[in-house]
Amino acid sequence: MTNVSSKRAKERRRLTPGEVVVMAVLSILVLAVSFPVLYALLNSFRGYADITKDPMGLPTSLDFGNYVTLFQTTEYGEALLNTLIITVGTLAILMALVPMAAYGIERVGGRTGRWIYLLFIAGLMIPFQVRMIPLVTSMNEIGLYSTLTSVMLVHFGGSAAFGVLLYCSFIKGVPREIEEAANMDGAGRLRTFWSIVFPMLLPVTSAFVIIQALGLWNDFFIPLVFLDASSAGTINVALSRMSGLMASQWELIYTGAIVATVPSVLLFAAFQRYFIKGMSIGAVKG
Amino acid sequence: MTDQQVLVKALPAEPPPAALPAPGRRRRFDRQRVAMLLFIAPAAILYALMMIVPSLQSIQLSLTNWDGISPTFEYVGLRNYEDILTADRFWNAVRNTLVLGLGSALIVNLIALAVAMMLDKLHHAQGFFRTIVYLPALVSGFIAATIWKYVLNFNFGAVNATLKSLGLDAQTRDWLGDHDIVIGVLLFIICFTLGGNTTLIYLANLQSVPQELVEAARIDGASRAQVFRYVTWPMLAGAVTVNMTLMMIAGWTIFDQVMVLTLGGPGFVSETMAFFIYKVGFGEYRAGYGSAAAVVLFIVVMATTVIANRYMRSREIQA
Repeated sequence: MTNVSSKRAKERRRLTPGEVVVMAVLSILVLAVSFPVLYALLNSFRGYADITKDPMGLPTSLDFGNYVTLFQTTEYGEALLNTLIITVGTLAILMALVPMAAYGIERVGGRTGRWIYLLFIAGLMIPFQVRMIPLVTSMNEIGLYSTLTSVMLVHFGGSAAFGVLLYCSFIKGVPREIEEAANMDGAGRLRTFWSIVFPMLLPVTSAFVIIQALGLWNDFFIPLVFLDASSAGTINVALSRMSGLMASQWELIYTGAIVATVPSVLLFAAFQRYFIKGMSIGAVKG
Repeated sequence: MTDQQVLVKALPAEPPPAALPAPGRRRRFDRQRVAMLLFIAPAAILYALMMIVPSLQSIQLSLTNWDGISPTFEYVGLRNYEDILTADRFWNAVRNTLVLGLGSALIVNLIALAVAMMLDKLHHAQGFFRTIVYLPALVSGFIAATIWKYVLNFNFGAVNATLKSLGLDAQTRDWLGDHDIVIGVLLFIICFTLGGNTTLIYLANLQSVPQELVEAARIDGASRAQVFRYVTWPMLAGAVTVNMTLMMIAGWTIFDQVMVLTLGGPGFVSETMAFFIYKVGFGEYRAGYGSAAAVVLFIVVMATTVIANRYMRSREIQA
């Protein structure tokens, strides 16, 4: 891959009219595409009567009443906590198992390694719907149905395939000599892995964690299927239940939509650099 | 990275493996292999239980008349498959999935490529614009659909209210309840994006196009369109493959928007394959029938992924 140095050299030249036009067009596009969220944000500060009487009206004051009501009168707080537990828990299981497995696959190598690799990769082509019905039955039989654990385990199945793909392609480039030397120095293989190999995988780990965190936070289908009314559900499941009611409270749904989006934005703001790098790691190679 | 380099230097030069006595080496090698297989085992077992086993069970269930609840069921052979392949409702779901999945894959890729090319043109504040272009992608498809549901509400929604206040009463529609337009509305909502990840992938690839190549073509008198057609586009082939494949896999399983906005309605008009499987399997207590539909979905996903990859890979140049 050629670097961008030749482009960088020209960055100092003056702002051209073409660039100004591009900036304007992009700004307009972003505003247009953000319309639903901006609309929800504005209406999260308005009451039900105002919203339905004048749908395009603007809020008259910065009233956080809806936010207070949302957490006081619905189970949204619990749903938020559930979503957080599912996201962090799934990531923890993934981190504990996937990098190690990918490392094992690459080091076993040969035909065995290739077959195990392919078995994992096949999961990328198996839609969740294909395994959904038997999984619900099994979770029911072992008493895990409608627990957060079931959602995490089911998530693991789908994410592990992607994780093995990412980690294997990265581990190929890690030299064996370092681990072998550490092994000879008497470090156990597990310790060698966690203290020497795993830290070297940081670029791919940060990309994987961020991509997965966003996906897990936003997922709707898996918790919808595995959490019944005995659980407060996840944010998306809770919103879906609220909007399924006969008399749904529009102002609270708009508020819930904003509350659900804020963590994603914060995550992006905190790790923007890794985000963009991560997308290129995962995709440029194909 | 510097830590590793320090480490490499600090470690004593290792004796070449061949210097070890042969039997000892084999034993070490075997132990290494066993250790590595043990590294794989936990992930592999959990993955098998969550992915491979249930998928195979689906194939088994698809041959039964199980309702999803009762303890007993009978094997009915391929009857579920026959029923599915002769059901208008299923083919309607297939057509919707094609229109929404393939349609959105094409449209979103076009939007993302256009946005990436605009970003690539920027020499000032490119980072800032890349960030704000990505922001809308942080809103999940589910949340966006939930908001649209109320914006498009027939009586109190913002769209119809705006049309009325503009005096365009005749243009107001029951956007999600009119079977002539509901698929179009769903497609619009799914494509109402700047691409997010897709855009980032295109941008990364555009920036890896050697600038010298572009300049050489320009000096040789190529027009902008020709530069794109003969230089940039072939260099992007890899990114197109990745993006189209990812979008198509996602497209085959479009569910959230349908679940939130129409529940497959009016009637069965806007069902997709994923929604059909969910509805049949859980809502209508036909687990066997739903499993058969799921197996069909799997075959479709696998076939299109493999075929699309082969076709698009053949167009790529080896960079």
